[in-house]
Amino acid sequence: MSEMVMNSLPVDYATETSGGFSFENATRNPMIMASKGAEYLPKLTKKTGTTICGMVYKGGVVLGADTRATSDTEVAEKNCEKIHYLAPNIYCCGAGTAADTEMITQMMASQLELLRMNTHSQSRVITACTLLKRRLFGYQGHISAALVLGGVDNINGPAVYNIAPHGSTAKLNYSTMGSGSLAAMSIFESDWKEDMSEEEAVQLVKRAIGAGIFNDLGSGSNCDICILRTDGTKDYRRNDVKPNEVAPLRALVNKSSLLSMVPGLTPTIGNPLIQPHPARVSLADVDVVMETVES
Amino acid sequence: MSILEYNGAAIIAMAGDGCVGIAADRRLGAQLHTIATDFTKCFRMAPKLYVGLGGLATDVQTLHQLLEFRMNLYTLKEEREMTPQVFSHLLSHLLYEKRFGPYFVEPVVCGLDEKGEPFLSGMDLIGAPVTAKDFVVTGTCTGNLFGMCESLYKPKMNPDELFECLAQSLLSSVDRDSVSGWGGIVHIITKDNVITRELKGRMD
Amino acid sequence: MGDSAYSFSLTTFSRTGKLLQIEYALNAVANGRTSLGICAKDGVVIATDKKLTSELVDVAHVHKVELLTPSCGVCYSGVGPDYRVLVQRARKSSQVYLTTYGEVQPVSQLVKQTAGVMQEYTQRGGVRPFGISLLVGGVDGDGTPRLYQVDPSGTFFQWKATAIGKNYVNAKNFLEKRFTEDMELEDAIHTALLTLREGFEGEMNCDNIEVGVVRNGKFNVLTPEQIQDYLDEAN
Repeated sequence: MSEMVMNSLPVDYATETSGGFSFENATRNPMIMASKGAEYLPKLTKKTGTTICGMVYKGGVVLGADTRATSDTEVAEKNCEKIHYLAPNIYCCGAGTAADTEMITQMMASQLELLRMNTHSQSRVITACTLLKRRLFGYQGHISAALVLGGVDNINGPAVYNIAPHGSTAKLNYSTMGSGSLAAMSIFESDWKEDMSEEEAVQLVKRAIGAGIFNDLGSGSNCDICILRTDGTKDYRRNDVKPNEVAPLRALVNKSSLLSMVPGLTPTIGNPLIQPHPARVSLADVDVVMETVES
Repeated sequence: MSILEYNGAAIIAMAGDGCVGIAADRRLGAQLHTIATDFTKCFRMAPKLYVGLGGLATDVQTLHQLLEFRMNLYTLKEEREMTPQVFSHLLSHLLYEKRFGPYFVEPVVCGLDEKGEPFLSGMDLIGAPVTAKDFVVTGTCTGNLFGMCESLYKPKMNPDELFECLAQSLLSSVDRDSVSGWGGIVHIITKDNVITRELKGRMD
Repeated sequence: MGDSAYSFSLTTFSRTGKLLQIEYALNAVANGRTSLGICAKDGVVIATDKKLTSELVDVAHVHKVELLTPSCGVCYSGVGPDYRVLVQRARKSSQVYLTTYGEVQPVSQLVKQTAGVMQEYTQRGGVRPFGISLLVGGVDGDGTPRLYQVDPSGTFFQWKATAIGKNYVNAKNFLEKRFTEDMELEDAIHTALLTLREGFEGEMNCDNIEVGVVRNGKFNVLTPEQIQDYLDEAN
């Protein structure tokens, strides 16, 4: 027992867990669902639907992603971010269960930062790839994250890796993932060339994501682009292309007086309850009086 | 049926001009059988922070208690109020920790941050965050709620307009959902206070 | 380990109510190379003597001032290897905080946590206290610069300016004379170097000291070139 404590962080037992997943409800949940005749879990979680891609060009890598998140057939978010930060020189596109892609990239970013601090050196793309695949393999595909990892480092230069949810990886010149991967791949297969210029590369990635946005129903809204160059600079272009902007159209409709709510319209029960925010007391607000206690 | 729909719920959080609001129905059911009409689904976690928990009622209450516990501990340890951003991140973290045995709850978070700007976020039951500038919804009739909000929402509403918008969106949505409704409650958070109104709705 | 004959704590009370192991640890600190820190109006500086036993050691790969979070750094006086253990613990705990709350851990929380680790090593079986004191510079939740000292017992203090290690009494006296409430960061860096030079054995240059600075909420370890610039300005 004491050995276990030795090796782990000082755990504040009430709040911090020692890390890893909690299976507290794992036996209860199937029981509850069986007794209520409810359906199995995976259908409940939010998916990213998704078209994501990445490619190598002459001066680095370009990553691209759409911005739609779906829950079954419902659009859960119209403008989500699917290109995640891993290190200053490494980014990662995620497809699959939204929470899994979000959390695994966040954990990886944290692990890489620790590694960078402890080694006083830059993170390598292959390191990120290995850490990711080991974790995914360890969970045997239950963490459903399909990733396109891209980055540039001083040792191996630019690289794009394709990482499947079960932990298999491939180093590729161009890669696509998600429900729109076929649409996007058709673009790369016909037009990708070696040593493309940055402008050509960005254009190709935009076309690939566009193919996903317009032909795959799980993908939609805008196109995010991230360029990582061999000279160490990067360019994260959030919503670089917005082919589905509805705000101007909505603004026209909202001007209608029919949709303007007149205060006092909705019937309520009783009087409104108004609770002022409690005043925050700081030491500066308190007069300190010196007191002597006779014993 | 999904287990998330067992008890029924409809919750909206929406941003206004320097204010945010959260609206929820009051029904607690067991499928089509109504048990209570005064069930609380929105909880005040800090002076300017509310969380709405839609889903399985037992988990709504358990998660609320867990959040309350973590909030109190944070305030004691750090001697400061938790911001909505931090709260949302913590909630997402707590939910994802139970990735393979989740609470059957889909939360929405709304509040005013330190600058008095509105903050909104929503999550699925394993903590995948959705941040929005306009509105987030959860419950058993998200389709209806999304539809109503998409058409009634206007940017820069004042607290009174925000209330009407929330109330109308909620009432119209739950009228077409059999497992939510039976009255509603709306909290409007402004920089000075929280205004709570109970809605008169259909009781069938 | 728990069952071994040595699983009792080495830090036990003497008859006079003292924890001698902790006092010995403090002696180890007082024998260590001098470190000092100053908390200015708009930032913090921590500096330490990095003189090594031999000319032949490659100084570029000896790190005595380390980054803990983007806004917080640390240096030490005392037993080097003990330092690495604490640095790793502190970094890990700050990453746990970051993934839980989505915010960089405020320096006050990080210090409390690290002090907790040091306290644990004064009570638990089979271990000895850390032979180091830490100087931690960083910013708090609201962005105010802070300077902390953490001792082997697990005690921690917040300072306007302080020194630890060899010659700390003289260095502290020097700082007391030089410190002003409205001191600005650039001023503080110069004062820190000046104080360090006071008790320095031999010639102080950019390679045998290390300096860390919190500026605009970001912590950075100064490069030898940057240190040289400050040294040149002082001359």
